[in-house]
Amino acid sequence: MKEVDLISVGMTNFGKHFDKTGRDLLIEAAREAITHVDKGIDMKRDVKALCIGYFTPDLFEHQGHIGALSAEWLGLSGIPAFRTESACASSSAALATGYFAVASGMYDLVMVAGVEKMTNLDTPGVTNALSIAADDVFELTTGITFPGLFALMAQEYFEKYSGSWEDLQTVTLKNHHNGSLNSKAQFQAEISAIAEKTAIKKGVTFKDEMDFLKSKYNPLVAYPLRLFDCSPISDGASVAFLTSREISKRFTDKPLHIIGVGLGTDTISLSGRPDLTTSKATENAAVAAYKMARITPEDIDIAEVHDCFTINEVILSEDLGFFKKGEGLKAAQEGRTSLSGDKPINTDGGLKSKGHPVGATGIAMVHEIWLQLRGEAGKRQVKGNPKIGLTCNVGGSSASAMVFIFERGEK
Amino acid sequence: MLTVQNYVNGLKDNKILGTKCKNCGNIMIPLKPVCSKCGSFDVEEFETKGKGVIRSFTVIYVAPEKFKDKVPYVVAIINLDEGGAIMGRLTGVDPNKPENIKVGTKVKFEALVEGEEVVVVFRVDN
Repeated sequence: MKEVDLISVGMTNFGKHFDKTGRDLLIEAAREAITHVDKGIDMKRDVKALCIGYFTPDLFEHQGHIGALSAEWLGLSGIPAFRTESACASSSAALATGYFAVASGMYDLVMVAGVEKMTNLDTPGVTNALSIAADDVFELTTGITFPGLFALMAQEYFEKYSGSWEDLQTVTLKNHHNGSLNSKAQFQAEISAIAEKTAIKKGVTFKDEMDFLKSKYNPLVAYPLRLFDCSPISDGASVAFLTSREISKRFTDKPLHIIGVGLGTDTISLSGRPDLTTSKATENAAVAAYKMARITPEDIDIAEVHDCFTINEVILSEDLGFFKKGEGLKAAQEGRTSLSGDKPINTDGGLKSKGHPVGATGIAMVHEIWLQLRGEAGKRQVKGNPKIGLTCNVGGSSASAMVFIFERGEK
Repeated sequence: MLTVQNYVNGLKDNKILGTKCKNCGNIMIPLKPVCSKCGSFDVEEFETKGKGVIRSFTVIYVAPEKFKDKVPYVVAIINLDEGGAIMGRLTGVDPNKPENIKVGTKVKFEALVEGEEVVVVFRVDN
C-alpha cells in the first residue's frame, strides 16, 4: 500500500449563498485549493480522478449524477468521477475513497470535494431533507427530528452522568468564540455580541450570556436543546488534493501525511443502541485510525469533532479517547478544549459557528487541520507548534463515522 | 421471509413485532431479517406485549412540515419488557412540563393511524 499525502485544501465561506448553485460553490472552493498548492498544479495534467461528497443534491437542487457534472464544470470531463454519500459525513467518504484510490496505486493524484447547497429550501423543507438520514420506517413516522435525536442522547447523558443543559453551553460559548476569529465562518460573533445585538434590536436587557441563552430569543427546538445548541443551515463547498507520498514534493514541501484512517457504523435507529451516550461508529473508527497511525489519543495536538449539536462534541470527545466516559463535559468546562487548552477542539468554530453545509463539512474540517499544522491559522493559531491533528466527521445520528489523522511533513 | 410490510401490518393489528433467531435465540425488536448476534438469516416472528418503560425522551418544538400543527409533542425511546427498544410518540403527559416526565415510567403501546401511516404511540400506563 502506498503512503498518502494531502497537498492542498480550499473552501468557500460557509453561510447563505443565495445567488450560487452547488456547482458554483464547488468551482469557488476548487479555485482556492488550486491557489493553495505551494508549487502549483496543472489540473488537466495532474488530476486522475474526482470524488464528490454531497448528501442530497436530489432534494436540495433536483440534481443527480454529481460526479460527471462536477468533472464537466471543472473542465475535467473524461476522468473517472462519482459522488459519495454518507449523510453529514459525505465528504469524509470522498476523502476515504480518494485515500483508497491513491493508496492502492490506482491513481497518483485524486481530487476530493464536498458540497451542499441547502438554502434553496425553507426550514421545514431542510428539516425534511436532512431527516432522510434517519430511519424512515422506525423513526421518522414518530415525528422525530435531528435535533430531537440528539436531544434524546443529551437526556440519557444527563441521566447517566451528571450535567445539565446549562453545562452544555460551555460548548456553545467556546465555538462561537473560535468562530469569531474565522473569516470563513457563518457566525463570526461571540454569544455576548449576539446577545448585545438582540438586546438593542428588541429593547430588552440580559444580565449575562446565560440570561440570553435561557431567554425566548434562544427558543427550544427539541427539549432540552435550544436554537444555539444546533448547527445552522448553510451553503458551502470544500476541496482537497491527495497524492502518493512519492510525488507530493512536486507540489509542496509542506504536505500533511495521512497516517490514520478509520471508518465505522452503528444502527441507524437510536432505539437499536444499548447506550445513547456513546457512538460505537466513532469508537470503531477511532480505534482503527489510532492503530494504523501507531499513536494514542494523547498524541493528538488538535482535533475537529462533529458538533452538529453541542452534546455531540462532548460525546465524541469521549469516544475519541480524549477524556474518560462521562468526563467530556467537565473537561470542556475546565477549558481543556478551548484554544489555549491541552486538547483544542473545533478551533475554527466547529459546525456550530462555522456553519454546516453537511456534504462539505468533512473536508472543511481537514481545511482547519491543514492551517493549524502548517502554522497558518492566524488569530486562532494554537500555540506549541502542533504536529498531529485529527478529524472526526459523523453521518446522521452518528450511524456512520470517519476519523482521519494527519501529521505535518518535514519542512 | 419477514419484511417491513409485516411490521407495518403488525402495527395496524396493534402489535409490535420483533424477530427471534432460530439459531441462537437472540430477540430483536423491532424486527430484523438477519440476526445481529450470529448472522443467521433463519429468524421467526416474535410478538411483544407492547409494554415497557421510558428510557429517554424529548419534546419537539420545530417539526417537519407534516407534523407542524402537532407541536409541541413528546417523542421517547421505550425499553420493552421483552428486551429491545423502540421509538414512539408519548401521550398521557404534558409536553409543556417536561420536568414531570420521568425515565422509568411504565407505558403501553397503542397504534395511531395518521393518514396513510401508522404511528407508534405509547401511553403512560397509570
